[in-house]
Amino acid sequence: VSDNGDRLARYAELAVRVGANVQQGQEVFVHGLVEHVDLIRALTRQSYRAGAAFVNVRYDDQHMRRAMIELGPDEALTYSPEWLNTWARAMAGNAQLGTSGNPEPELLSDLDGERVGRAMPLEAAEISRRVHGEHSVNWCGVGAPTEGWARRVLGEPDVERLWELVAFCFRLDEPDPVEAWREHLDRLDARAAALTELRPDALRYRGPGTDFTVGLLPSAHWGSARFRTAGGIDYVANMPTEEIFITPDSRRAEGTLRSSLPLSLSGQMIRDLRLTFEDGRIVQVEAKSGAELVRSHLATIENADRLGELALVTKESRVGQTGKLFYNTLFDENATCHIAYGFGLPYSFDGEPDEGMNVSTIHVDFMVGGPELAVDALLPDGTEVPLIRSEEWQLAA
Amino acid sequence: MDERLERYAELVVRVGANVQPGQEVFLLADVGHHELARALARQAYRAGAAYVHARYTDGHVRRAMIELGPDEALTYAPEWLKTFTAAMSGNAMIATTGDPEPELLADLDGERVGRAVAQEIVQIRVQQLSENSVNWCGVGAPNEGWATQVFGEPDVERLWEKVAFCMRLDEPDPVEAWKKHLARLAERATQLNDLHPDALRYRGPGTDLTVGLLPAARWMAGAGDTSTGIYYVANMPTEEVFTSPDARRTEGTIRSSLPLVLSGQVVRGLELTFEQGRAVRVEAETGADLVRSHFATIENADRLGEVALVTKESRVGQSGTLFHDTLFDENATCHIAYGAGLPFLFDGDPGEGLNVANMHVDFMVGGPELEVDAVLADGIEVPLIRGEEWQLA
Repeated sequence: VSDNGDRLARYAELAVRVGANVQQGQEVFVHGLVEHVDLIRALTRQSYRAGAAFVNVRYDDQHMRRAMIELGPDEALTYSPEWLNTWARAMAGNAQLGTSGNPEPELLSDLDGERVGRAMPLEAAEISRRVHGEHSVNWCGVGAPTEGWARRVLGEPDVERLWELVAFCFRLDEPDPVEAWREHLDRLDARAAALTELRPDALRYRGPGTDFTVGLLPSAHWGSARFRTAGGIDYVANMPTEEIFITPDSRRAEGTLRSSLPLSLSGQMIRDLRLTFEDGRIVQVEAKSGAELVRSHLATIENADRLGELALVTKESRVGQTGKLFYNTLFDENATCHIAYGFGLPYSFDGEPDEGMNVSTIHVDFMVGGPELAVDALLPDGTEVPLIRSEEWQLAA
Repeated sequence: MDERLERYAELVVRVGANVQPGQEVFLLADVGHHELARALARQAYRAGAAYVHARYTDGHVRRAMIELGPDEALTYAPEWLKTFTAAMSGNAMIATTGDPEPELLADLDGERVGRAVAQEIVQIRVQQLSENSVNWCGVGAPNEGWATQVFGEPDVERLWEKVAFCMRLDEPDPVEAWKKHLARLAERATQLNDLHPDALRYRGPGTDLTVGLLPAARWMAGAGDTSTGIYYVANMPTEEVFTSPDARRTEGTIRSSLPLVLSGQVVRGLELTFEQGRAVRVEAETGADLVRSHFATIENADRLGEVALVTKESRVGQSGTLFHDTLFDENATCHIAYGAGLPFLFDGDPGEGLNVANMHVDFMVGGPELEVDAVLADGIEVPLIRGEEWQLA
């Protein structure tokens, strides 16, 4: 076994054992792009080694999606094949692993943004959201380095260099990565607990192009991506993960937000996104590129124009430390503070979610953090408590 | 965009599966075939497909299951895959062949490899074949691994040229060329149907076999209509005329003449001995355990489902290439299949003589020395094939 083969196997093992935490006798649902074939094979092998009863593998292909959007009829765009709905339902009680890292991040950039935005199998997305909302899936999303992705990040197809960066974010360089992950998640959970205890009524964001206030829900708590299923399986939903996050009150968002990093989304690149909110809803969308795609989401998907997540990330982040822009949400959202429009996350609630939690079929994270962003907690009595300055955590813990 | 690839895909979509406007199209491809699969998707949408489903399979995923998975995984048919397969009824399907790693499973236990069949999925496909409810086409997808198997080097371009020749893509009007070719094969099928043989007799090196035929089973060439009247060509290339034999009346020994790439193993020098329709002995230089596992674990896999005649005008034969791929090699020379018979060859109920099994494996038996005779009901023997040439007027 070469060094590279060994790294791939160790990476996959960590994703299977610590990330999804695949249990003996579970089925595993693995999905990723055809270009992720090496990692998907390694995940499959590690899943069986962990005792999986069966590993279901689904290779997606962006070129199929392109052909559909470019050449297919209108009805195809939102069509949700019954087999895909069945796949989504079958995840309940089982494990899921997804790979990301787009080999051709601008493959759809010349297509009509409105059609790209509408192209989503709504029924399967809804089933998947419900299954996850019931806390019945132990899942994990991980990155799959490819030449195309490396070219985007490094300017050349240096997959080996990208692997090194990804492995660093993954803490694979640690002598005992499993222990390193436990300590790391404990740190994030301590931060989340301190913020939950502060009980802010709202967050205020200020920075270049940004002056924004968003309400919080008393029943929601801050947390890391270390989750537990209803059946008691602990798992880490994203690897890497550097955030603490919460689901906001989707009825209370006012002001303007400017994204600080480009967002690779559905084969298009969204640059310099500016969103204006009134009474919780986005009323204006501007961007240097990709505005049509976002407008199409907001126009065609119910409640996509409300917020579903606020997440705080500081500069200790391993992703941030790499100094690289990954053009991949899984990584970039863990480099800096981010916000998501679309559905809220049931993980923020101990019981039934508050009615202020947004319900939608889409969830799009975009990055807003940077050295000049100031984030404050607004307490019910009007006091402002600094949370983030210059990408550093301001609260004790 | 590769122009040859698009023309190839267009021929498959328009002439092979004959995708109809408003149909859904199901693509089944190895993950290594994604370039062709993408071209097929584009051409299918151009032909008016309502939606194109792509299911990529992966020999390495299968290997992991056989090597590391529990016993129950081997035959497990996930619900979503049953739903996927069942949805093909009334729609179009295109499957690609050309194994990028034909010996990927060679070091695994042949018994487990042979048992690893999701029989419920095969059952759905057999049912669809019997109802003739899917206009489908199987085609080759050249790739480096396949080229290496064929030429000893990963010369994909050379493999593409061979495949394009077999596909008649070199003709000025390939659609017209296919029309003429299919008419020639249909004429042969008509001759055999008029002859009404009661049995076939095969003689050659290591082979002396008699196979009974069924009066109700038609001979057919590789094109026909679905139950709703969509004309399609199920294999491209296709050079055969074929029928389903009486599974109860096979006697003697047959030796395969070409290696067979099957489930990630290579079966070489296969020799089967039949008594009263059933294979009672399996010998092979390699891969015998895989075939024995089929016979031991899959009901009626040990009886025959198809006999097919191919002569040397075949473009595959003319290419002078051993493709190590059944779609091609079975169209280079005469072949026989163990496992499921083909219910669409019957106008009514096929009756008990047609074999029913959740498997269908073709293997090649033809060659310059093989003689095939039709044995008529009155005992007269009529030569059908000598020196790989067609003997009927």
